[in-house]
Amino acid sequence: MAGAAFGNRMDLSVPVGSSNDVVGARREGRIMAARLGLSATEATLVAAAISELARNIVDYAGHGEIHLSPVSHKGRRGMTIVARDQGPGIADIKAAGQLGNTTSDGLGLPGVRRIMDEFDIASGSRSGTTVTVTKWKRQ
Amino acid sequence: MSALTLVKRQNSPQALPLEIEAAQEGNAALVERYWFLLQAYLADGDELSLTRGYEFARQALMEGHGLLELSEIHDLALQRLPVDARFAGPIHRAAAAFFAECLSPFEMSHRGAQEGARALRHLNEVLEGELKRIAHVLHDEAGQLLALVHIAVGDVAREVPPQARGALKNVELLLTQIETELRSLSHEWRPTVLDHLGLVPALEVLSGKVAKRTGMKIHVNGNAYTRMSSTVETALYRIVQEALNNAARHAQAGNVRIEVQCTPHQVTCSVRDDGKGFDPTRKLQTEGLGLTGIRERVATLGGTLRLISEPSNGTTVQVTIPLGGRHANSCS
Repeated sequence: MAGAAFGNRMDLSVPVGSSNDVVGARREGRIMAARLGLSATEATLVAAAISELARNIVDYAGHGEIHLSPVSHKGRRGMTIVARDQGPGIADIKAAGQLGNTTSDGLGLPGVRRIMDEFDIASGSRSGTTVTVTKWKRQ
Repeated sequence: MSALTLVKRQNSPQALPLEIEAAQEGNAALVERYWFLLQAYLADGDELSLTRGYEFARQALMEGHGLLELSEIHDLALQRLPVDARFAGPIHRAAAAFFAECLSPFEMSHRGAQEGARALRHLNEVLEGELKRIAHVLHDEAGQLLALVHIAVGDVAREVPPQARGALKNVELLLTQIETELRSLSHEWRPTVLDHLGLVPALEVLSGKVAKRTGMKIHVNGNAYTRMSSTVETALYRIVQEALNNAARHAQAGNVRIEVQCTPHQVTCSVRDDGKGFDPTRKLQTEGLGLTGIRERVATLGGTLRLISEPSNGTTVQVTIPLGGRHANSCS
């Protein structure tokens, strides 16, 4: 795993079942961001992304998990956040439908896409939704 | 008394201070809540407090509160701290960190708006491209076909007995009329002079046509003989077209002055008429004047629109559009 390269802190998962769980996920995300040398601004954006991803899980699927892991690619460091749920298909369509929506307030998954460097969403009718985002440390 | 109160009072001595009080009262609950959350964060420095701050700001954003309001709320909360604490390094930094957390929903929203503006600009370019293509088809291809029909009709005219030639003459006249219509239509949609010679010459041609049609005296003056990006030139051309329409139709102006000033950083284009004018602060009156279209074009290019008008004193539409930089609209 990419996380092993960073020694004592490995990948970790935080279960998300209610809006209270977001606090723990944000705390872990911020700690990891600091360890990887991300700036305070980048850490704030990571926390914001975790908040929106967790909200998405709670609103559309009820429960799921947020997985955090350090990544490195060609000497660049960053962190990847994976939000996974087993929500019903119809909810996934709803969540994915937000993506192209630019007339709303800009929050939610579209907002996450804009504050992260990489964004990927995979959704199946039975397999739930997986949103994978990465924030790279600015060089 | 704040500077805002002073300024507003001059306009209307009775009504406005009450409105301002009401606005402050409306935000009072927000200030209390923010103050509560900030204190909690300063006391424990915990993620829970930051999360609450984020949720607070997210809610404020969704309720339509602006960034400046949030900043004011933060400032009001800071003023409640004892002075020595307010300027103490750690507290100062922690308060700033808390504020930054509250800014992040606004950052998201701001990026969304920027993306929307880019998409709008792109869409505008696509539509202009389509218009150009249709204009080209009308002008060149349909025009060529009509020319062939002309020749064919001429050939037939030589074959038929002289008494039938009168009817064919009529057909030829109608064909010529269609050609003229097509040419002027395609020119209106996509003036080729704009592509070939640039904005000011195109505005001169446009003014000539409008003057002939409406009887207005139109004067064009500009230093922008340098070329700008086709997006900017087209937008300004359309804006002037709209402003001239307004001057003729709504303002019943006699004289119009079009001015184009281009620097390496921006282009300013103004259309001033001596027509009826209107009160630009009255929204309903201005909505019908095609100003919405002008405003949208300007917004798409990140420019500003100034509307100077008063009843019976003419109207000036002034548009400034930034050049260079990210939109790559430079005068070359």
